[in-house]
Amino acid sequence: MYNSINRLQTVFGFFTTVAFVVAAIIAASDFTAPRTPSATIKATNVQVVKGRPHYYSSKKEEYAIIRFSLDADLSSLFTWNTKQLFVYVTAEWPAAPSGAVAGSGTNQTNKAIIWDTIITSPSSDHLANIGPATLKKLRKSAAGKSVDPSRGKLSLKNQRPKYQITYPTGKVANTEDMTLHVHYNVQPWVGMLTWDQDFDFALWKKMAKGISKVFALPAVAPKKG
Amino acid sequence: MLSSLQNPRQAAAQLLNFALMMSTAFMMWKGLSIAADSPSPIVVVLSGSMEPAFQRGDLLFLWNRNLLAETDVGEVVVYNVKGKDIPIVHRVVRKFGTGAHAKLLTKGDNNAADDTELYARGQDYLDRSDIIGSVVGYIPFVGYVTIMFGEHPWLKTVMFGIMGLLVVLQRE
Repeated sequence: MYNSINRLQTVFGFFTTVAFVVAAIIAASDFTAPRTPSATIKATNVQVVKGRPHYYSSKKEEYAIIRFSLDADLSSLFTWNTKQLFVYVTAEWPAAPSGAVAGSGTNQTNKAIIWDTIITSPSSDHLANIGPATLKKLRKSAAGKSVDPSRGKLSLKNQRPKYQITYPTGKVANTEDMTLHVHYNVQPWVGMLTWDQDFDFALWKKMAKGISKVFALPAVAPKKG
Repeated sequence: MLSSLQNPRQAAAQLLNFALMMSTAFMMWKGLSIAADSPSPIVVVLSGSMEPAFQRGDLLFLWNRNLLAETDVGEVVVYNVKGKDIPIVHRVVRKFGTGAHAKLLTKGDNNAADDTELYARGQDYLDRSDIIGSVVGYIPFVGYVTIMFGEHPWLKTVMFGIMGLLVVLQRE
């Protein structure tokens, strides 16, 4: 028999089914949008200094400060299902010479993020961790648009890194074969998280360029004064 | 309801029906757990440390197998700190070495500092074995129910009560 509980149950069941089907269609629509990301990156100024991991530590470690220039066009990654784009620059280098094992030299075995940024879609600006003035400015820049691909264009000149990297042993000076790589992570409103690919996949192209020339870290900079 | 009490055969059938529902849910959860090789293949975000990517109550699907590539820098992983029972969802920002003993460092996108402070005493890096999965799928908000249950435990009792009552009240 049909009583009110039965009807409520049916309505709720139908609602969840519809909601999940719509979510699945939105998630699948990602595959219909071509992705053609490209980036060029260059290390501009490399420095190694001595420091401590935090104020109350007596441990002395070497830190690499890698300044870089980055030009990137990631505008094709912004679609209606893009919530935010996480762009990050990594320094990558093979195993430390002290632990050199024959045949392992070609693998990039160490990887550290030196700089990252979160680019929100206009639809998720209100979630970003920024002050009210910055938020107002950001909103104004995309007034009337729900998707703003122009935010995917980055142009940085001699940018200071956000993170000064070291190695578990505390020694990074004179590290050779270092390269900088540009990566991204697309965070959708619903569906699969995706990263930059090493290969073309259907409409999604792999990142064009996005790797710097090989460089080496210098010796520890002499103390000033 | 009273009629079902008068008929023990029907009461037993309804009880079995309820048990079947419960065990089906349990089996699906465990099946997913085996497929993803993770003790907890679906987690609910409990903190705002990954905002604006993840908000409290969002549902994350985890994958814990390294079929094509190792867990890498840039992936968002869920890990448990030794001696603490709270899973943490953060991004891998550094990786030194390869294989099972690669040293991994994590950081929340919304946090200023990396997670060294969150780790166990004397632990500077995570091992692969500390990680219970990498985030591959995302559904917003659906998990907020569990946060509500966690903060107001009486809701759980009410919910189970209603569910049980519904099954008993239903004929067939």
